[in-house]
Amino acid sequence: MGIGEKAFESTAGQAEKLDLKHPDAVLSLLEADQVVAAKQRMHFGRRKLSVGVRMLLWGLRIYVVAMLVIVLISAFRAIHSAP
Amino acid sequence: MKRSKKDSPAPSFGPAHPTTDVAAASPIAHDLAGLLTHEDVDRARDRWRVSRARWAERRSKILGRFSVLWLLVGPGVLVFLGENDAPSMLSYSATGARFGIGFFIPFVVLTFAMGLVVQEMTVRLGAVTHRGHAELIFDRFGQFWGFFAMGDLVIGNFLTLVTEFIGIRAGLGFFGVRPIVAVGVGLAVVFAAITTGRYWTWERITMGLAIFNALFVPAAILAHPNWAAVGRSLLTWSPLPHGNSFDILLLILADIGATVTPWMIFFQQSAVVDKGMQPRDIGAGRFDTALGALLAATFGVAAILATVPLFHHGIDASQFEAAQFAEALEPWIGHIGATLFALGIFEAGIVAAIAISTSSAYAFGEVFQTGHSLNRPLREAWPFYSTLLGSACAAAALVLIPHAPLEFIVLIVNVIAVLAMPPALAFLLLLVNDREVMGDQVNGFWENTAAIAVTVALICAGLGFGVATVIHMS
Repeated sequence: MGIGEKAFESTAGQAEKLDLKHPDAVLSLLEADQVVAAKQRMHFGRRKLSVGVRMLLWGLRIYVVAMLVIVLISAFRAIHSAP
Repeated sequence: MKRSKKDSPAPSFGPAHPTTDVAAASPIAHDLAGLLTHEDVDRARDRWRVSRARWAERRSKILGRFSVLWLLVGPGVLVFLGENDAPSMLSYSATGARFGIGFFIPFVVLTFAMGLVVQEMTVRLGAVTHRGHAELIFDRFGQFWGFFAMGDLVIGNFLTLVTEFIGIRAGLGFFGVRPIVAVGVGLAVVFAAITTGRYWTWERITMGLAIFNALFVPAAILAHPNWAAVGRSLLTWSPLPHGNSFDILLLILADIGATVTPWMIFFQQSAVVDKGMQPRDIGAGRFDTALGALLAATFGVAAILATVPLFHHGIDASQFEAAQFAEALEPWIGHIGATLFALGIFEAGIVAAIAISTSSAYAFGEVFQTGHSLNRPLREAWPFYSTLLGSACAAAALVLIPHAPLEFIVLIVNVIAVLAMPPALAFLLLLVNDREVMGDQVNGFWENTAAIAVTVALICAGLGFGVATVIHMS
């Protein structure tokens, strides 16, 4: 918890009402990267994918596609073999 | 459609990084002051109430703590009770009718423990980064992998949404309501929940509906289960299921798919962000998630116990839908019990329809960088609300089309959820171990051990099912 946050919490806890029309009040309650405008303008950059991670992601992708084919064929046959 | 940049005409503030600095004290505070939105103001109001409750906690520990928890519970309870949806409750009902009290009761509890391990990570990701899961995948892994993840989510969400409307139709069908009216009621509730233009109100309305998942508890009590046998099964995991091993494997997979699914990851992280949770709320977020898992496990086991009389009387429930379950149970749990059961299925469908359509809308907004918050008014975030309502309307319409392959969808929906889960978990694990994203909140040794164990278990269950299916077909 930041110092500013602690100080604000004391004020907010005592205040019965808060004027959220004032930008400072809003900014005192949110974290820096919690404001919509900040999130739109600040992005986490692309991470470098190692060979191991690429292999893992491709392996899981192939797993999903292969299993999906099996499931679809199985379900199709189950429905068509039902009386 | 490409990811839009039109909402961000101003120059970048630099790369994002994990921070707990208050916005007012940040170097960009002056710029941000002129860019505040309705969404920011509503979120700040929610944060103010949490701050006040924390202040009160210093004066009255018990009352203050209760206040803080009351304000911060929501995403975890909703995600687990949302996942106790119509196909899940039917899957539990089929389990109770087919195998009675035994192995499947502790197994279902175990699946919720697996769900808890997964969902806890989404709380941390959302509270630390203030970004949804889809947005983080696109930012960190790029569009290629992002669209793969989105493909899994969109297909899974749409098929699941269809089964929710099947549940709504079947649940109200017990009371003689016509399908078109039942589906219309479902759509009206989804629409009513989003007209508030406020995350907090939406969350409380949906939680109010979700608590009716507890209807399965009195239905179970009316079935007069042998509580000693329930206790014994929880301790010994027995008796083990007997019969066709392929059918058993299918039920195991369906019961896992009833608890851990990709939409839950996307939904809870986005809901945590929309609620405005911060890193210091992670403890409350964990409580919320554990509470959701506990409630959902209790109601899931109750659904199994409610249908045990069908097992004792040798009634074949393999082709039953919701209304047929309720009708078949009536001789043993009475009209009141059957009514509660049918209402429970209806409720399960409604809550899941709200949660899953919201999950799709959050992901759409995050990927295409359009407004994606329930704190935004309808006119301001119309693509978000259009996605939410559009997906619900399309699923509802499909349920009403004569000869639509609904049986096919019901058969495969939970299985597809299990199969799509390992890639979703891989992205989640990579993100939650990424120090550039998580800072000090990266996974520890035990969290990684538990999450990897869950992933391996899901892959093994999927592979086992695949092998059994191939043998079964040949």
